[in-house]
Order: sequence, then C-alpha cells, then structure tokens
Amino acid sequence: MPAESPPQTLTVALLGNPNTGKSTLFSALCGVRQRTGNYPGVTVEKKLGHAEFHWQPFTIVDLPGSYSLAPRSPDEMIAVDVLLGRQNAVDEPDAVLCIVDASNLERNFYLVSQVLELGKPTVIALNMVDVARDRGMTIDVDLLRNRLHVPVIEIQANRKWGLEELKQALVDTLKVKQTPPESPFPELFQAEVTKLETHCEQEFETPLPRYLVERLLLDTSGYLSHGGIREINDSIQTAISAARQRLAGAGMPVPAVEAMARYQWIGQLLDGVVQRPSSRPKSFSDKVDRVLTHRIWGTTVFVLLMIFLFQAVFWIAGPASDLIDWLKSHASNFVAAALAEGALQSLIINGAIEGVGGVLVFLPQIFVLFLFIAILEDCGYMSRAAYLMDRLMSRVGLSGKSFIPLLSSFACAVPGIMSARVIENPRDRLITILVAPLMSCSARLPVYTLLIGAFIPSQRVLGVFGLQGLTMFAMYAIGIVTAVFVTLVLRRTILKGATPPFVMELPSYKLPGLGIVLYRMLDRGWAFVRRAGTLIFAVTILVWAAAYYPRYEAAENPSEQLRHSFLGRAGQLVEPAVRPLGWDWKIGCAAIASFPAREVVIATLGVIYNLGEDEDEQSETLRETLRSATWEGTDKRVFNVPVALSIMVFFALCAQCSSTLAVIKRETNSWRWPAFTFAYMTGLAYVAAFLTYQIGSLFVG
Amino acid sequence: MEELLPLNLLVRGQHALIEHLVGQSEQVHRLEELGLRAGVPVEMLEPGIPCIVRIADQKLCFRDADLFSVMVRPGVAS
Repeated sequence: MPAESPPQTLTVALLGNPNTGKSTLFSALCGVRQRTGNYPGVTVEKKLGHAEFHWQPFTIVDLPGSYSLAPRSPDEMIAVDVLLGRQNAVDEPDAVLCIVDASNLERNFYLVSQVLELGKPTVIALNMVDVARDRGMTIDVDLLRNRLHVPVIEIQANRKWGLEELKQALVDTLKVKQTPPESPFPELFQAEVTKLETHCEQEFETPLPRYLVERLLLDTSGYLSHGGIREINDSIQTAISAARQRLAGAGMPVPAVEAMARYQWIGQLLDGVVQRPSSRPKSFSDKVDRVLTHRIWGTTVFVLLMIFLFQAVFWIAGPASDLIDWLKSHASNFVAAALAEGALQSLIINGAIEGVGGVLVFLPQIFVLFLFIAILEDCGYMSRAAYLMDRLMSRVGLSGKSFIPLLSSFACAVPGIMSARVIENPRDRLITILVAPLMSCSARLPVYTLLIGAFIPSQRVLGVFGLQGLTMFAMYAIGIVTAVFVTLVLRRTILKGATPPFVMELPSYKLPGLGIVLYRMLDRGWAFVRRAGTLIFAVTILVWAAAYYPRYEAAENPSEQLRHSFLGRAGQLVEPAVRPLGWDWKIGCAAIASFPAREVVIATLGVIYNLGEDEDEQSETLRETLRSATWEGTDKRVFNVPVALSIMVFFALCAQCSSTLAVIKRETNSWRWPAFTFAYMTGLAYVAAFLTYQIGSLFVG
Repeated sequence: MEELLPLNLLVRGQHALIEHLVGQSEQVHRLEELGLRAGVPVEMLEPGIPCIVRIADQKLCFRDADLFSVMVRPGVAS
C-alpha cells in the first residue's frame, strides 16, 4: 500500500430482498465484529459490522430485508433515511451493496431499480448462482454488467466464495465515477417529479432528495405527506394531488405506474440475460414440500415437531433447575457461614442469590426453544409452519405470520413480542403483541409444577392420560383459548377493519448455517437476559425489602415478621378481594409480590408458610407445608383442589411481568397498550380464578 | 380462451396467466412488489385457503381477502 494518507473508513449500506442470504453475507464479511442496537423511535434493529480489505476499513450497515424501498411506515422509512444520509444514527453510506437472488432476478431487480435511482455508487452481489445453475438457468453476467453500468459480482455467501472480488468492487466505486442510469419512468412522469422537486426547493430550506420527491408522488398511503416527511405543507399537498390527476389523465395512474415502469425496465434489462430451461426440473424443495405442505402429512409432521420441541424444553428444564437450585443452596450456605445474621445476610441470600437464580433457571429452556426456532427458520421450514397455521389463524383474523412470535412466547414473551416485527400489517402486529403474554411462558411452569405436584392426585384418566399431565396441558390450553377469544373480541371492537390479502414467500430449503443459528439463539436469549433478567433481579430485591421491613422485633418466626412487613400488610388489605377466589391473606401476599415478576411467587410462598429460605417447587417440604396449611385460628385447610386450580388459572392469565409490559410500551411506542394489556389480563385472571374456585367448590365442597 | 377466475380456484398443477389484481391500489401495489402482477404465469402447487403458487421461480403462499382477489386466465402453461 503506498504511503498516502490513511484510508478513510468506507461506509457501505447492505440491502436486499428477504431470503437472499443477506444475513449470511453480512456474517461472512464481518464475522463476529458486529454490533446491534436500535434506531431511535422505531422498532428497527440497527446492525453495524466491520470488515477490512487490503488495509481499507469498512463499516457495513445491514438494513432490514425488504422487497421495495417504498416507505409506508416509520419502520420502513429507516432504510430510505439511512441510504439518503438523513438518519443521524449512522454515517451517510459511501456505497450501496445490493444482494440479489440469482434464481429470481425479475423480482429482485425491482429493489435494484429503486436503489439505482438513489444515485449512490452501487455494487450488486449476485448470490446463489449455484442454485440458479442447478435449476438449469444460465445468466449472462457480462451482458447484465454492460447494460447496468454497475459492478455485478457473482458470489456464494454460504461458501464465502467471491467475497474478495466483492470488496475490491466496493473499494473501486470510490475511484471510478458511475454514470447514473436512466430513470425507468416515462418522460411525463419524470417531468412531474422535476416540477414537484422545484416546488419543494422553493418551500424548504434544504432541498429534498429527488428520490423522496418521487416517492411523495407515488405514496398513496399518505404516510409520507402526513408526517413521514415533516416539511410537507398544504401547498405541496395540493401540487401532489394536481400532479396525480394529470398523470391519471395521461394513462399513468399512481401508484400503478411504478410497478408498470419498473417491471418494463426489468424485462428489457434481463432480455437475453437469463435463459430458463423449457421444462422445469423438479427440485429437492418441491419434493420435500409435497410432504411438508400436504394437508394431512404436513400437519402431522408439524404436530410431531411441536411435541418434540416442547418435550425437549421440558427435558432440559428439570435438570437445569435442579442444577441451579444446587448452586443456589451452596451459595446461600456459604454466605450464611461467612456473614453474621442480619439485614445484609438476608439481602444477599433472599434478595441477590434468589434474584440471580430466578433469572438463570429459565435460561436453558429459553436457549433450547430459540435454538430450535432458529434452525427451523434458517432451513426454511418456519414459513411452511406459518402456511399451515394460517388456516387456523385466519379464522380468528390473524395471519400465519403471527405464529413465530406466539411460539417464542411460550419461552418468554419478551423476545416473542420483539419478533412480532416480522408482521407487516400494523393491526395484526398489535393484536399479536397484546395476546402474546397469554402464552404460558417458562416462568409459569414452577407454579404449575408445585401446585400440581401438591394437590392433583397422580392417577390415570381413561387408562392412558395422567391426571397431573392433563392439568398441566389444561393450563397451557387456557392461555391459548383465552388468546383466541381476546383476538376475536379485539378484531370486532377496537381493532376492526377488513382483512388484508396475505402473501408470504416460501424460500427453498437449505442447510441451516451454524453461525446464523447460534447468533439468532444468543440474540433472543440475550434479549431475555437484558430486558427480563435485569428487571427480575431488581424486583426480587424489592420484594425482599417489602417482606423484610419494617422489622418486627417481637417476631418469633419468619411468618410473624412477614405479617407485620409492608408486604404482609398489603396482603391483609387485599384479603376481602381474594377471599372469593378461595385464598387467604398469605396467598394474596404471594400474588401481590409476583406482580412485577411472577416467578417470585415460589420463594414468597416458602417464606410466608414459615419455612424460611430456600424453597423450590420440587421441594417435598414446601408441598407438605402447603398441604397442611390451615386458615388462621382454625384447623380448616387453606389448600384444596379448587384453591390450587384457582391459583394456577390466575397465574396462567394474569399480567404478572413488568418486563413484558415494558417491552409492549417500547414496541407500540405508547403507554396505552401496556396499560390495556395489564387491565384486560388481570381482569380476566380474576374472573377466571373466581369461576374456577366457585364451580370447583360445588364438586368438592 | 377460458373464463377469468380467482387464483384460488385453480386446481393442483394447473397453469394460468395473471390477468389483473382487483382491490385497493395500495394493496395491489404491495403484491406487485412481490412479483404477483398482471401478465405473469402462475402454477397452482397446493390449492386451498391459503394456497401455494409458483410465480417465476419462487413459491408464494397466498390468501385473498374480502375486497381483494387475483384474477387469472387458466390454461396458459409457462
């Protein structure tokens, strides 16, 4: 390298259709040198990576996969703003790297034709050339290059093939000036854009990029002119309407003219470039799909996969929680021996260790579930599952795209709600977010395990089903059934409107990439640790303080102390409200303590029923104690089957998770929806627990 | 020439040509971006609601709506 000034970092924006191998290319270019964050005010992930080529440093901005650069929402606006240098969170890109799927150039070039209009130096990465070749297609890349006047580089991102040439092409874009391609639009349309551009120049201080002016003319959704671009005023609105009328009169109605013009441009561009075989060979994906999308076989495979998935989660959950309990008790013993009895010792044992353990205990199951989801997503199966589930989901007014967020919510609603970002329709996305917390997450499992183990007899029903297993299943089912009910009600009341048509791409099957799978698993697991974990930890400390203070010196046992603590007083205060559910004030206490984070309930029950520290749901003593607990001053037992069921139903439906509410706030950008979720879930939980107890008591009492 | 019919009435393996998309212009535009547009040959792979069709070299899962449908003219093999 000649001793010139040190090379400036080259900022490259990476863009492409979904399922083109964009994430694979990003990982191949940047390896582990990537950072993720969020763009301010929206729910789009900001992903930056770093790479180097012959001492030339790169920053690569990975933009969300998209079929088009036609923003109709703040989330879709991000990509356009980044590309045009209007987004302050990242540097203005020096070049655009557009990845296209060689086996489907017609559709992929729609986005390319938009990118070329931005006027930035552009490099096109032609990925999956091997797939195209296997399908018997030939692509004349030289001809394509000559017609486009931009570098077109053949790559195979999954084999890291062609990356050197790609980086070289990116560096070269700075040296060789690209001639801007001709606009695909008819002249009359271009003239209207120019007219509007001049109009905008007169009205605004800083000129609007031509691409945005064009979008303004094309965007009939009204997003851009009503807030998407802040500067737009009435005079420009009038000019837009007038221009659209003139265009419609000339046979170029907006927005249809865009697809017309671009596909015509693509047709001319690819004419002679792509040769398809006269008969299409049956691909591996086609053969697999004959089974996996089959009404009966496909559904069977899907159900078996789901059973296997949940079995695996339960299988890992048991040993993992045993291990963590073991660690917890050793840590507690160590602290008990090292520190004198008192507030500090209690804080560390009942607050800190309990808090960390409460977070750790969910990690293995969450990672296992997300590992499966990531594998199924990357190999292409998830879109088939979404297709199969769409039949059911469309009946309640959602689409198959809601399936993955809801499935993830069985592990933890926090990453589940975040993965609802894949749903483009805003109403479907909102409903999915609102019902996701009803899926029985891993934090409810300890409550079910404890109460079922203690109160549901271990007997067989109809010879095959265990009663305990059935009860567990019923708790999962009650969440799902309630979600269906809530969705139906929402679709008919506050969120009604016509169902939009549903289109989803089914990508070809491929071997899952190890790097991508691990990255997605860790990313979602980390979302749990960061968002839920920190809060669970903090809440455990708070609950500890509420149960520990104020000190009651005359207390003979922990239960006495609790009765006089803040928490105990609160429990006694709500007793009249929880009596109809069959609960005494101690259960009331446990329920209150678990509002910020439901998993706190086990530890709280342990303390309340006078066992001191360190109880877990497997513990025989806690089960025994709950069985023998009596109403104060009587020998009437507190717990029986209806009471246990009423507690479980309450926990199945109640919004006892502040992390979930915080994530709903973030994803909907409003306090209204978390407030709504809290109110409806808690209300339903109370009513359902009341009915469970009252009806149950008719049979038992 | 065969009659026009909605896409989801094609039977398994049947080929057709997309004639036009009927519905609100915004929704039509979105589907066109995905390659579901007039003049394109389509093959029904898995009928039903939703159905799976092949357009160009991609598979799409599609479900129409109350005020939206894709009208096709059957019988034109790709």
